[in-house]
Amino acid sequence: MADVVFERVSKIYPGGSGVAAVNDLSLTVADGEFMVLVGPSGCGKTTALRMVAGLEEITDGTIAIGGTVMNNVLPKDRDIAMVFQNYALYPQMTVAQNMGFALKIRGVAKSEIAERVNEAARILRLEEYLDRRPKALSGGQRQRVAMGRAIVREPQAFLMDEPLSNLDAQLRVEMRTEIARIQRLLGVATVYVTHDQTEAMTMGDRVAVLRGGLLQQVDTPQDLYDFPTNEFVAGFIGSPPMNLIVASLQEERGQMKAHFGDQSLLIPERYRQTHALQAWIGRPVVLGFRPEDLVVDSSMTDDLISARVDLREALGSEILAYLAISSSTDVVLDALPTTDAETVRKRSRVVARLSARVDVVEGGLITLSLKTDNLHFFDPGSGTSLRALTS
Amino acid sequence: MSATLVSPPKVITPSSPKLTARQYRRRVGRGVLLVVMILVAAVMLYPFVVMLVTSFKTESQYLIGHGSSLQSWKDLNQTLPVGQELLNSTIICSASIFIVLVVGGAAGFAFAKLQFRGSNVVFLTVVSAMMVPLQAILMPEFVNMAKLGLTTSYFGAVIVYAALGTPFSIFLFTTYFRRIPDELIEAGIVDGLGYTGVLTRLILPLALPAIATVTVLQFIQIWDDLLVGLLFLQNPSQRPITVGLAALAAGRTTSIPELLAGSLVSALPAMLVYLGFQRFLIQGLTMGIDR
Repeated sequence: MADVVFERVSKIYPGGSGVAAVNDLSLTVADGEFMVLVGPSGCGKTTALRMVAGLEEITDGTIAIGGTVMNNVLPKDRDIAMVFQNYALYPQMTVAQNMGFALKIRGVAKSEIAERVNEAARILRLEEYLDRRPKALSGGQRQRVAMGRAIVREPQAFLMDEPLSNLDAQLRVEMRTEIARIQRLLGVATVYVTHDQTEAMTMGDRVAVLRGGLLQQVDTPQDLYDFPTNEFVAGFIGSPPMNLIVASLQEERGQMKAHFGDQSLLIPERYRQTHALQAWIGRPVVLGFRPEDLVVDSSMTDDLISARVDLREALGSEILAYLAISSSTDVVLDALPTTDAETVRKRSRVVARLSARVDVVEGGLITLSLKTDNLHFFDPGSGTSLRALTS
Repeated sequence: MSATLVSPPKVITPSSPKLTARQYRRRVGRGVLLVVMILVAAVMLYPFVVMLVTSFKTESQYLIGHGSSLQSWKDLNQTLPVGQELLNSTIICSASIFIVLVVGGAAGFAFAKLQFRGSNVVFLTVVSAMMVPLQAILMPEFVNMAKLGLTTSYFGAVIVYAALGTPFSIFLFTTYFRRIPDELIEAGIVDGLGYTGVLTRLILPLALPAIATVTVLQFIQIWDDLLVGLLFLQNPSQRPITVGLAALAAGRTTSIPELLAGSLVSALPAMLVYLGFQRFLIQGLTMGIDR
């Protein structure tokens, strides 16, 4: 059992433009912790994982497992086990042979190999498949064999590179809980890479969000959801993502108001302290709120937002309503330093998560109340959360 | 809410078979194809049938056109050291193919899976050697082997055959190995194998179709070759079967049944090897890989 420590790790591929695939990453995965690395394609999460495995050379910094720096240690000597995206099972071997192969290479006694393989098969419910070859197994069974191959090694750390991405949706949900269960049972430090933020939120003890090789935020799933440190994390975590609109912050008769288009929103006083909003009066800020904070509540007369329904998605238990905020583009154009037209258009559209019983008609107007308990404010230039700037 | 009754599905009972126009055309087409294939097979097999039938005649029976006898086979055994020449051919073939497989397999793995500077240039240079015919380099090759004293042992011919066959082998193995997922190799490395172990324990067991393809094609080429055997094996006791048969054919009096008996003996091993490896050959040539 051991921890995995990234200390200012960078990876720059030779012959390229000098752009770092991983840039100055510092991160600690505690012993027994399930750490998820999540981010869009090309963010460096797989590269970071492969550097732990020894399949990529480290350009700068150190990676230590169990206190021992692994930069110049061969993969086979790092005492790690890896589960690959495409399972990478040996097609000419049976399930039992696949699972015991690493032990056989290390000269472990046959009886011990059999014992460990049978134990792993019992945990993974693979007992009846031990004599089959991978081509005779389903995707989920192959994935469990790949897990079994890692488990029998009894390594210091598990590394998993998007192991569920090739499975269908239902199987993915089943295997998510299976992997989490096995990891808790074995108590081994695990680094899990995924691009799916739902997997990240449901499986990880902590989640590290990466973008462009840079670590954006590492936190528990709930804290990532409630307290994103920047616009990217706010927009990446959560499905649908957080609504982000540019608003102009004004002070009227001692009260703060956020103006967007011809609408305004009263900002509770406590945000003045928590987000240091005083310094932003008269300036544009990016206002963020979650889709579930837009509600239809006839008893509320304050904080009403009127919008046109562009699109309605019925999901059975709820409705996602894609709304065009009235006349917000003028504010957006004035406020934003960027001339990115696409970004401007996105910022005038919001998503509301409503009960399935709410009458939502595409093309129609709707008036919603915005709960102001969980508002977020970001610097429109850097994207950093104003809360983060105060701490 | 009212329920809608769904009528039970219509049960189709078989009636007297009646072919549609499409089915009729398909059957006629298949019949024509079958006839054509039989004719082609007959044309291809005819020389072998003639060889077989004629080899079981004496010279006089051959001239008359009927009769059968084992005499030609007995005469062949006395005229030519058939057993020794078959052994020579087997030794030369086996040694050459072994070198071709070892070098081709290792080089193919290196080109397909290992990253090193200039690999593309080296690969193209090796593969372009396939375009150089033996006849173009025959004389300088002979001079080299003669100076090294290798024209009186198997080594000279084996080295020449291996050199001729390796570029194709490297090309085939490289193409085959490129289709193997990198993750399979990485899994082997993480499990504890070095690159040699990855090649021998993971990759080569998956490369049976490619190995069979190279083996069969090289075997046919080497076994049936005359030129290299004639030039690079000066020692009569090391002559392969093809050279022996050529000497028999060049004799002042040539018994046709005896010659055809010898040709049959020469052709049979190649046919048997092809038939034995046929299944793998198709896989190898179509580069299928089961994941």
